[in-house]
Amino acid sequence: MVSRTSWQAYLFIIPFAIFFAIFLGYPFFYALYLSFHKVTDIYDAFNALKFVHLHNYIKLMKDVEFWWSILMSLLYGAITIPLSIFVSLILANLLHRTFSLVKLYRTGFFLPYLLDVFVVAIVWKFLYAHPYGIITQLLQRIGINIPPLLASPKTAMLSVAIAMTLKGCGFGMLLYLAGLQNIPRSLYEAASIDGAPPWKQLFYITLPMLKPITLFMVVTGIIGALSAFAEFYGMTGGGPIIRVGSHILGCTKVAGLYLFRNLESLKLGYAAAISFVLLIIALIISAVSAKLLRVEW
Amino acid sequence: MNKVKAFIIYFWLTVFLIVVLFPFIWMIITSLKPIGTGLTLTIIPRPPTLSNYKSVLTQYKFGRYFVNSLIVASIGALGATVLCTMAAFAFAKLEFPLKRPLFGMFLSVLMVPGLMFVVPQFAIVYRLGWINTYKAMIIPHLANVFGMFLLVQYMKTIPDELVDAARVDGANNWTIFLKLIVPLSGAMIATVFLLTFQFHWNNFLWQLIVATDEHMYTVPVGLAMFRSAHEELHTLKMAASAISILPITMIFIFAQRYFIEGILRGAIKG
Repeated sequence: MVSRTSWQAYLFIIPFAIFFAIFLGYPFFYALYLSFHKVTDIYDAFNALKFVHLHNYIKLMKDVEFWWSILMSLLYGAITIPLSIFVSLILANLLHRTFSLVKLYRTGFFLPYLLDVFVVAIVWKFLYAHPYGIITQLLQRIGINIPPLLASPKTAMLSVAIAMTLKGCGFGMLLYLAGLQNIPRSLYEAASIDGAPPWKQLFYITLPMLKPITLFMVVTGIIGALSAFAEFYGMTGGGPIIRVGSHILGCTKVAGLYLFRNLESLKLGYAAAISFVLLIIALIISAVSAKLLRVEW
Repeated sequence: MNKVKAFIIYFWLTVFLIVVLFPFIWMIITSLKPIGTGLTLTIIPRPPTLSNYKSVLTQYKFGRYFVNSLIVASIGALGATVLCTMAAFAFAKLEFPLKRPLFGMFLSVLMVPGLMFVVPQFAIVYRLGWINTYKAMIIPHLANVFGMFLLVQYMKTIPDELVDAARVDGANNWTIFLKLIVPLSGAMIATVFLLTFQFHWNNFLWQLIVATDEHMYTVPVGLAMFRSAHEELHTLKMAASAISILPITMIFIFAQRYFIEGILRGAIKG
């Protein structure tokens, strides 16, 4: 046995570590620092920082627009996550056999997942266009009149969610397909001998065995929903506007958009505080989901 | 009986596939229609024309945006792959003090929503005076933690005996890395390169923030600006979208195995 302990190991790690430290490690603490400051001169934002204690966080706690944006992000997740899991599971089950075209279908379903969210959003906005977009026109021909889907408060969020689920379902399909292939056949054989009908096998063997994948989908889905930006920037811009009490709010103005607008107007301290609260929410929800689905990390 | 079942499965799979791919099919069809007829329901454009593509690439400078995207994605992917491969070798095959805490620290980033880093990274890049440079788009994403993790997992499957044997023969760490580990990890290195390329090609929010000068726009940023100015030019918008989507589609069709392998390993073992 040759000793593999070596100080040379650091030489291999240092290049990676330097860029990690400057652009991922330091930013974390810099964001914390920024969140306690306020830009006082918008024309010299980066040098005109004033320490304001917890001011940004206190303001954030009372900021209706911010909490609304978190709520909209969570709503987006609450629609897309179960819907994606459902669609992915169906696709994986349909593809989980050995016929000649499996690979072709798999390629087709998976491809959209790799494409740019913003560009796909632009394409979907074109499909949803009212009154001349293809979806509206086709439905009209068969006698169904629909409201402008992206501009109606009731349908805007759902329409974005459906578009993005169709774009992203190939990812879950791939994971579930791999999961299905890893379930030992003997489990089903034993169940069949004991006379368990197919639906029982589904609920007592298939779904429990796929639980780690479902957890992964839920956790990445939550992080994804809280980071969602490009689909809303591309399709709705945060609208349509509704009035809730004395507040005027955007039906699809999610946290990502709210953060972007603050960054755009160079409210760096406030934007940094938003980032931190988002992080904390993401971590809490992920931990709770892990508990609920009772899977060890 | 089995034939009926197979037919039903094919039928539903085909219906789903058409639904999933319909936006892209319609995008291509629209992009081939003469300008001004983007909202017609004709399925076969009469006559099909490439004039939208020509117009978008030259008149609206998407040629330039495409080159920008290509430069950022290629150099970004190459740099990140080199750094990841080197670091992964140390974590997978060498022992050194603080190995575990260091690895844990790197991986902890995977739990953090990407949006979290946008504000401070922007502040850093701004202070460095990098706004409107390729550097700004590439360098902050060189440390690709996910790619490094994939490579570590993969390199761990290379038997230690091989490394030990090479060491007995007098090979030093660099030789082992270049002559043994890199060739044996070729498939996973390709995967990391392709996934990083795809990441940069789609890194819209960041590019939107750091590229304010028209000459530095990437394809999606160019598309964002184009549609604010010309919302009604549907055929051109779809041509630009198609141009943006084409490279990843081509790469995926030819290198599918690497993408799927990488994504499965990342999710299931991660």
